[in-house]
Amino acid sequence: MEHWSFVALAYGIVWSVLVVYLFSLKSRCKKAQIELSALTSAQASNEHDQT
Amino acid sequence: MALISIAIGLYWGLVIAPPDAYQGEVQRIMYLHLPSILAAYLSYFLVFIGSCMYLWKRERRDDILAHSAAEVGVLFTALTIIEGSIWGRPTWGVWWTWDARLTLTAILLLIYTGYLMLRSLIEDEDRAASVAAVLGVIGFLDIPLIHMSVYWWRTLHQPPSILQPNKAPWENIAWPLLIPLLINIAAFLLLLFYLLSLRYRLGEMRDQIRTRRLEQSV
Repeated sequence: MEHWSFVALAYGIVWSVLVVYLFSLKSRCKKAQIELSALTSAQASNEHDQT
Repeated sequence: MALISIAIGLYWGLVIAPPDAYQGEVQRIMYLHLPSILAAYLSYFLVFIGSCMYLWKRERRDDILAHSAAEVGVLFTALTIIEGSIWGRPTWGVWWTWDARLTLTAILLLIYTGYLMLRSLIEDEDRAASVAAVLGVIGFLDIPLIHMSVYWWRTLHQPPSILQPNKAPWENIAWPLLIPLLINIAAFLLLLFYLLSLRYRLGEMRDQIRTRRLEQSV
């Protein structure tokens, strides 16, 4: 059972970092999607006002 | 599909695969270490392709691809260095040594971290993309150096486990160790493409936001 602690440390760090990155990426996508929708609707209402 | 292959890879690497005859259980870090650096190499290859295409055709999609791949590549390179350090402590007796391969990998991480910093420091988006594309092409030259470093210099790092010239992978590594390694490589590559597709989508949306803002300001 020698060196299992090093194996656990490596697997723990790698999968924690990957999961955190995945969630941060999803969160950034969601924020960008909200901002893009707001800009699109603002642009549409501006064009509607002009006509 | 990425999730299933990751689960199979984890189970095979940690439970089914036998321990290495010399290194014992700690050799199981190889099932993370090799897939991580291959994912990083592939990311930088995409940075190289995206950068060359951007410098040639000046299309935004190529720059978004290069930028996305650089971010994911930096993540996998950092993970490779961390895994290597944890593996090195029980096998070499040190967390870090200025070995040729380790040093060149650290330089690779610095180059692409610099690439990402450069992009955030230059305000003009088109100029940032051009300067970063040049760095993306030059930085890729470090990868053949890393691969050949174990042949050119006397190093602590072992020679490649599967990509050796004039030898098939199964001639270097026993099947019970090769199977989980290949499963983990497939799992990491699937994960890489999933992360890249998300990051590319984010890049596209940011580009659209920038265009909409410019239209509004005009």
